[in-house]
Amino acid sequence: MLCENCKMREATIKYVEVINGVKSEHNLCTHCASRLDIGQYSALFEGEFPLAELIAGIFGKTDSDRSRDQYAQVVCPTCGTTYEEFMKNSRFGCADCYSVFDPLIGDNIRRLQGSESHVGKRPAGHRITENGEGAQAAAEKADRQQSEKDAELPVAERIELLQSRIKGAVQREEYEEAAVLRDELKKLKEETGQNG
Amino acid sequence: MDRWYEAPGQPGSNVVYSRIRLVRNWKEYPFPSRMTKEQDSELTARLCESFKGIGPADGTKYRFAYLDRMTDLEKTSLVERRVLNRGIVKKQGTSGLILSEDESVGVIINGEDHIRIQVCDTGLKTTECYERAERIDDFIDSRIEYAFDRKYGYLTSYPTNVGTGLRVSVVLHLPLLSTWKNFNSLTADMGRFGTSIRGLYGEGGENFGALYRISNQKTLGQTEREIVDLVTKTAAELDQKEQNLRSDAGRRRSLARLDEVYKSYGVLKYARRLTRKDAMNLLSQIMAGINDGMIETKEPCSVFGLVLGIQPANLLRMAKKPLDKDELDAARADFLRERLPEIR
Repeated sequence: MLCENCKMREATIKYVEVINGVKSEHNLCTHCASRLDIGQYSALFEGEFPLAELIAGIFGKTDSDRSRDQYAQVVCPTCGTTYEEFMKNSRFGCADCYSVFDPLIGDNIRRLQGSESHVGKRPAGHRITENGEGAQAAAEKADRQQSEKDAELPVAERIELLQSRIKGAVQREEYEEAAVLRDELKKLKEETGQNG
Repeated sequence: MDRWYEAPGQPGSNVVYSRIRLVRNWKEYPFPSRMTKEQDSELTARLCESFKGIGPADGTKYRFAYLDRMTDLEKTSLVERRVLNRGIVKKQGTSGLILSEDESVGVIINGEDHIRIQVCDTGLKTTECYERAERIDDFIDSRIEYAFDRKYGYLTSYPTNVGTGLRVSVVLHLPLLSTWKNFNSLTADMGRFGTSIRGLYGEGGENFGALYRISNQKTLGQTEREIVDLVTKTAAELDQKEQNLRSDAGRRRSLARLDEVYKSYGVLKYARRLTRKDAMNLLSQIMAGINDGMIETKEPCSVFGLVLGIQPANLLRMAKKPLDKDELDAARADFLRERLPEIR
């Protein structure tokens, strides 16, 4: 069967849409299907159809489509995994990938997992002691490591990172954290003369 | 020593076995997909060293093997026996396996993640299995530093495992429920509550043997206890639904069911050639027959143990030579003739 849109290529994708009980069927080729705006599924029509891409499709190519291209070059400094590679395999290269790609995929992890924060067991070094010292110490240590790592990034990227973190914090309704980040961003902009 | 799956099932329960899987990574190394060959062998050696002493601590005998030195057939047969996941068979680079004598506890080192702890046992024993897995987890936790993040929990190669790294599975035998007209909508509903169900064996959408696995979909945002409870409760509910259908069918058409079970036994016991599909479906009848008390074997019989035994890699391993399809079907029939106990 030929694609109903271009009538040139073989139709390989059958797209069935049910809206309020009304069913409509379309037979399309991959080329036309990829141009069709069917949300996150559009991503699937580019090339092959493996499971990894399906998962990656759910992960990466949703509402952040426009910003995706500019993120494609983000690389994890520890292991060298690029955002593009992650999108392809939906697999991280090291523990640091989580913090590096967090601003880009945090929303998607939340969508996939239905949550974005761990509430279960903690390793010995991170366990909450009676006076909360263990957790706090670990948290501070993690924060310190994080800011040290961020400090190595170029200013423009640091600003971008902070902006996306603010966005994330606001979405999580963690306004205190957002305020701290906002001040940090302001300070950074003042320091580097990128005000306004 | 008997393997865990050789223990006979519990009458009146359709739960075949429970399985716990915990995934962990070592903070010092990148995840396996990004490791160099040198790191592969270094991590495997260091982790195996760390695992020394687990035997006495756990009261179990363990043996260690390098997965990269095994033949594909050995590995596939371990996949069939649920020790390995399919992904690891093709993996390049050094990786290790620590396996308890009864094969109920297995730790894969440097597979998709650095550490994958798995505990299996027959029946609905999710809590017991989890406790055992947790003890192994604590043992290693006291020796190495895990990759852990305050927000995301235990960090894993795949974001589908992040958080607790815990997958709880229960395998059920559902011969009647799976042919029930509302089965598909039931399984779709389960997804909304965070569990998923899939057939354990089959080809191209067709299920062999009516064995289904229930497991949690999400690994983040719930405590380990909540995940174990969710899967356990769902499994118990499906078990009950199947049991209700079975006692109902037993009442309405008892002779027809009895006939099916005995005919299946006859074929399994005397056939000279059996395809995997036929053997699995006939064993499914025997499993239901023993469970419902319609047929009784002279010695206790683990039907699931037979299901594992008739899988191709195991038969090939036992034959110690390559077999074509007909020879494999004959080997399968021989295996069953020999292993299926006499009935009273």
